[in-house]
Order: sequence, then C-alpha cells, then structure tokens
Amino acid sequence: MEILSAKGVNFTYADASESVLNEINFTIYKGDFVVFCGPSGSGKSTLLRLIKKEIAPYGDKQGTFFYQKKSIEEHDPLYIAKEIGMVFQDPENQIVMDNVMDELLFGMENVGFSTTEMRKKVAEMVHFFGLNHLVNKKTSELSGGEKQLINLASILLLNPKLILLDEPTAQLDPIASKEFIHFLQRINDEFGITIIIVEHRLEELFAVSNRVMMLDNGKITVDTEPRHAVGKLHHNMRNFLPTTALVYLDFNPDICLDEIPITVKESRQWLLNQKISGKQLEPTRLAKGNPLVELKEIDYQYTKHTPPVLQNLSFTVNHGEWMAIVGANGTGKSTLLKIIGNILKPQHGYIKLNGKKVKQLDPTIIGYLPQNPKVYFLQDSLIKEYRQIVQKQPKKEKDIDYLLEKFQIQHLKNRHPYDLSGGELQKAALIGILLTNPSLLLIDEPTKGMDPDFKDEFGELITDLVEEGLTVIMVTHDIEFAAKHTTKCSMLFQGNITVTENTREFFLENAYYTTAISRITRDSHVPSAVTLEEAKKTWQNQSGS
Amino acid sequence: MDLYKKLSGKWDQLMVRGFRSFHPFVLLVYYVFVITSLMLYQHPFFLLTAVFLLIGFNYLLDKGEQLKKWGWMIVIMCTFILILTPLFNRRGNHIEFYLFNNPIMLEAMIQGVVIALTLIGIIMIFVTFNMVITADKFLFLFSKWLPKWALLTMLAMRFVPLLKRRLQDIEQVQQSKGMSIKHGSIRQRARNGMLLMQILLTFSLEEAIQTADSMAARGYGLQKRSKYQAYAMQKRDTFALSFISVATVIIIFGWWLGDGVLMLLPILEPLWLYGREWFYFTIWLLLIGFPIWAEGKEVMKWKFYQQKV
Repeated sequence: MEILSAKGVNFTYADASESVLNEINFTIYKGDFVVFCGPSGSGKSTLLRLIKKEIAPYGDKQGTFFYQKKSIEEHDPLYIAKEIGMVFQDPENQIVMDNVMDELLFGMENVGFSTTEMRKKVAEMVHFFGLNHLVNKKTSELSGGEKQLINLASILLLNPKLILLDEPTAQLDPIASKEFIHFLQRINDEFGITIIIVEHRLEELFAVSNRVMMLDNGKITVDTEPRHAVGKLHHNMRNFLPTTALVYLDFNPDICLDEIPITVKESRQWLLNQKISGKQLEPTRLAKGNPLVELKEIDYQYTKHTPPVLQNLSFTVNHGEWMAIVGANGTGKSTLLKIIGNILKPQHGYIKLNGKKVKQLDPTIIGYLPQNPKVYFLQDSLIKEYRQIVQKQPKKEKDIDYLLEKFQIQHLKNRHPYDLSGGELQKAALIGILLTNPSLLLIDEPTKGMDPDFKDEFGELITDLVEEGLTVIMVTHDIEFAAKHTTKCSMLFQGNITVTENTREFFLENAYYTTAISRITRDSHVPSAVTLEEAKKTWQNQSGS
Repeated sequence: MDLYKKLSGKWDQLMVRGFRSFHPFVLLVYYVFVITSLMLYQHPFFLLTAVFLLIGFNYLLDKGEQLKKWGWMIVIMCTFILILTPLFNRRGNHIEFYLFNNPIMLEAMIQGVVIALTLIGIIMIFVTFNMVITADKFLFLFSKWLPKWALLTMLAMRFVPLLKRRLQDIEQVQQSKGMSIKHGSIRQRARNGMLLMQILLTFSLEEAIQTADSMAARGYGLQKRSKYQAYAMQKRDTFALSFISVATVIIIFGWWLGDGVLMLLPILEPLWLYGREWFYFTIWLLLIGFPIWAEGKEVMKWKFYQQKV
C-alpha cells in the first residue's frame, strides 16, 4: 500500500538561480526501507526536508507530496508531526533537554499526551531499546551513538508510520553506526515502519534496505532494489558501492545482477568458486626511520578524580610518515593528538620534536586540524582568514593562491566558512594550517560526514603533501580510509599504544578490526589483500568464461 | 556502615520512602511553615530544641557533610551577635555587670541568644532545603505556575555544559593557531578573548538552528503543550500535608496568645516552660521533627532488616 509519493516536485532555493530538484516522481510503499544516495549537493537533504513541512527550506516549490494519498498540505499539521518523524545528522544539536527523561518526553508533551500515556510509552520504549542505563543520565554525558539512539527513541514515542533520516550515522564511529542501522532494521522488520534514509556510508545499508534511489543533480537516476542498483551505479558512482560488491564487479567475468554479493558472507561464498591466482606480497618490516616526534612515558588524566586517559604511553613517528591512530571511542585518541600538539600538558613524561624537548606551542612547527573545523575560523570569509594568518609575511600572499588552486576551492574564497559543506570546510581549514608551513600535521577524524568521492580526493591531497615532506598523524575510525592511504597504523587501547605496524601488515594481521576485503579474503584460497587496489594489482581471475 | 558512606551521595535514589519521597508541594509547604515558625517563636528553649532537631535532620540526610561547610560561618556569626547585641541593647531591668562603664543587661543577652539561634536554625533548614528540593523538583513546582518560563529554564540548562565545552574547543584550536588568552599584553589578551566569545556566539547560533528544526519536527508550537507530572499526590502526601498544616495553625495560635515568645519587657518571664507552653512545645517538636521521624523510620527499618538477614 502506498504511503508517500511525489508528483512532479521541483524546487529552487529563494536566492539561487538554478533548481535543486527537477521533476521528482516516486511512490514509496508501506514497510519500505529506502536508501537515498548521491554526491554532496545533489539535493537529497532538500528533498527530505520538503517532505516534512515544518522544516521545509524557503524557496519556490512546485509539485506535491502525497501522504496516504492526500496532499501533505491538506493534512492536519499535528497529525503529520506525529506520523512522520525525522532524525538529523548531528546527534548533539537535535537534543533539546538537559536530561534523557525530559528529552524523551519533549515530543510527547508537544502533541499533548497525558501523563499516564507518557509514562506507559516511555516504559515500553526504554525496554525495547534497552535504554534503562541511560534514562537517568544527563544528555551531555552520552556518547554520539547513544545520543542518536535517544533522538530516534524520542521520535518513535510519537508512533510515526514513516521515519526520515538525514545522514544519521555520518558523525558516528563505525561500531555505533552499525548498531544504529541495526535498530533501524529492527523497527522496520518488527513494526513495519517505513524508513527513508539519506546516507553516504552504504556498506551496511545495502544489505538491510529493499530499495535504493540515486539522486544526481536533482534528478532520480536509479530507483530499484539494492543488487540491481549496484549494477547500475557501477560505472559512474563506484565509490558509493560496498567493497563486497566491487570485488565481484571487478573480477567476475560476466555480471549477473541478481548474484551481486552485498555482504561479506555472500562475497566469500562467491569467491569460493573463483580461480584467482596471484602473487602474495611479502610482508614488510618496520623500517628504522628518522624520528620527528618522540613521546616518552606520557600519563594524562583530565581531573584528579577521573581515571587516567593515557598511561605510560611511549610512541615515535618518523619523518615523512602518514601515521593513523585507530581505536574505539573513548580510548583517548583525540587526547593523544592534543598532547602531541602541545594543547594539553601531560602530567608525566615528555615530548621531543626533532630530538629537542618541546616547551611551548609553536604553530610554525605543528598544525592541528580539529574534528570540527568550524571552530578554526575567526573571520567571516576564507580569504580574510588567510590574509590574517600571513599578515606578517607579505611574500606568502602567493601561497594563498597556490593552495586555493591546488585544493580546488578557488571559487569559495569569498564565502563565509559556515556556508561550506563538511568536506570543503576541512580543505579550507587545512589551507590555513599549511600557510604557516608546519612540518607536522595533526588531523582529528577528517572523514566524518564526507561523501566517498570527496574522501578519496582528500586522501590524495594529503598523500601529495606527505610526499612533499610533511609528516601527518591522523586519528580516525575510518578503517577503509586508513588502509587505502596511510603508511603506518597504530592501535590505541586502554590508554596505551598496543601495536604499530606498516598499514598493510597491520590490517592483514587483524581478524576483526580490518577492512571488508581483508575479511573476505582472510583464510581463503586467494591471496589476501587489504585494499581493492592491491587486489587489482596482484590478482588474475582464471575462471573466465 | 561503609556501604552507607559509599552510597550517601546517591542516597536520594535509594530512599523510596524517606522524607524526600514526599510530593514536592508538600515539601515546599513544610519549608515555608517551618521557616515562618522559626521566625515567630522567639523563645530560647523552643529555638534550641529546633536547632538540635535540625542537626539531627542534617545528619540523617548526608551525615552532616553539607552542614560542616557552614560550620565556621555559623560560629563566627554567632560570636558577633552574642557580643554585639548586649553592647548596643541597653533596655532591661537586670544589670549583670558593667563593661567600660556600660551596663550589660540580662535581657539583652537573652535577646542575643534568641537572634543567634533563629539565624542558625534558618541556615540549617536552608542547607537541607538544597538537598531535599533538588533542581528538578524545584522546576516541577515552578512549572505549575509558569510553564513557559520553566521550559525556557530547561532549555537554558542544557546550554550551560554545551557552551562550556564549545568554548574549550574553540580555545584549544585557536591556541594551536597561536592565538591565546594566556600570553601577551593585557590588551592583546582582552582582544583575543572577545574574538573567542564572538566565535562562540556565531557558532552556537548556527548550531541552534538545527535544534530549532528538531523541535519543530517533533511538533513544538503546534498547540498547547501537556505537562508530564513526574510526581503524583498520594494518600501519604495528603496526610503529611494535613498534619503539617494543623500543626502550623496551632503553633501560630500559640504565638498569637504569646505562649511561644519569651517576654523580656516590661517584666522578664521565667526561662523554663510552664502551663500551656508545654502543649505548644509538643506540637513544635512534632512539626520540626517531622522529617526526622520520616527519614529515621527508614534508617531504623534498614538496620533491623540487615540484622535479621
């Protein structure tokens, strides 16, 4: 049965000349799990917001959305508020209240439930989600994943039939985002709630959805079931597809749309019947390099009464390396980065830069790119910010143009930093940092919220910089990104570095905390690989047709 | 006892039936009445008993931890009052001795004791007020009369930790850029500080748009909100309320008759209680000792329970 449909929807923003959405037509049925994908700026979020009338952007809209065969405008707004729920990207900013219980009640109070109704609904919801341990907490004490679950729960309390999600896992770490998607799958499976989700990270979503729609330049270009969508997107949207499917598409001689594997399990099964030969690359040992940063016996705790974040940590990074520090949430990755950057002072231990103990912070040696680059900017346009950074050295004016050119954001230089997309903002802040010519760059979770194409581009930019002699230390959750681009990986666990290895060997030896393709090829008859590029270089499929 | 110590911080959650489990309205009424009574009954004997009862109440709540913080303050204040009142107040019939040729009156000394005891009592009851009527109970009471303001307060409360964390983020990142509020000339530091505040403001306003969206998406502003009643009036609340009210009415009546006030002038009343005063004293004990009874009953229950097990 039809639940939502769009008939000839066009939309142009109030101050823009070009339209964002062109002739959008679709029909979504009850119980569908729809994934909307597409590059940044393709109009996905706009489309989602237009469905939810209260938060629709200003502009010129033509065409109509129908909810249960009646135009959305004709429905009672209160009814629509209850029926259609929405979860946004940023877990933090959606929360309104100081403690979890009040947050859960907020929506229900808005639509006028009685106390007994509320008490009953909260009780059952808390049981279903297993949120008992969170109910009495302050919202500021929750992790990103927990916050997003509370956001979802507070919407489910209104009994929606349709839930819209705008990149809900973009700010979460991989474990939390898997958990979140698992919950979505449950409410879809067990209650038949229709789900429309806009997302860049599709590895898990292809497996749980039953429909994939691709939005490109304001048009729906693909609208079909996941396996077929993979086949259709193969040529122009490669980066959006799960690695599990890409292996098949690259190595299977002839492609059958219904056979495309979308989970690791399916991919392994397909691999069993393939005769793939190739040379196993020899593992490389850690080379002895020329150390740039040395940390010795670092202890750190935030306050006297909290448990230590880092304990007796020693660690070295050599010149010209791109080191990735991986590890779960709350293991102190960001803290470690801040200590290397001299932003935080450790209680014990010291840091040596080029063999000399560091006493004071020097922005011409260390550049720090924060998790949220918005806080980096002080001026109201990029170019003003850069001019301020180089004000004492007029020679560097040329560098600004050079870097803008190199990073391809020349056209954005007069914009306000807050008007840029997440990826553009990362680049813009990076230019600001590079203007002071640091020899060490610290990056905190750069790939959060970037679309896959942009991620690749960003990775290549940093690789270029590393080749030019910059040393980079990056903290990340994004295993695939680390495997593809970095040279060395370290794992942080319980306040200490447990292992440091060359990237390939690091992921090859890990059984769980590793890339999809490594999980596919592990213990199989084909040569193991860590990235698809590596497989492409070394494999030959002889089972040809 | 060790366990008690460990849990004393979270005692609030454990006490299902203690004084704190009464409906916030009952608690508020209790505090209003007791503070009124403390101010009306100007009799050292009554006030001294009240102070002892309140010490007991404090001890039951948190073993007197909060009260200890006020200890010095109370001692210093009392000393001043006890010394200064007789120096400045010279009305009375009983001259005790002369200090620098000034008569020191017995009446004035008693007056000093009364004032000091009243102040101690009021401080002590406010110390317990903070522990009993917690922020959420206060907000609950507040929202009864001013629901919009209560919501606004709740929204603002969420922003306190948020802004604090954001400011720290901004400070750290700007510090890594070489802009600091800890180094440089005072002028430079002040300028940098203002810049940081400006960023905090623009950044927070920008983020707040999303919060507003999330509120609108959950139907905020479409109609009058309902209010979740976290606390419901139960039978025991009604009983407690009636008891407190009746006791207070009797006490006020006693005050009106002049029984709870030690007459100093024109003739000094004897300090020791007599006649009807004993009746009001019993009521006084029951009213001010009410929390001790409610709370102590629970402590005793646990003691016996543990012994049995």
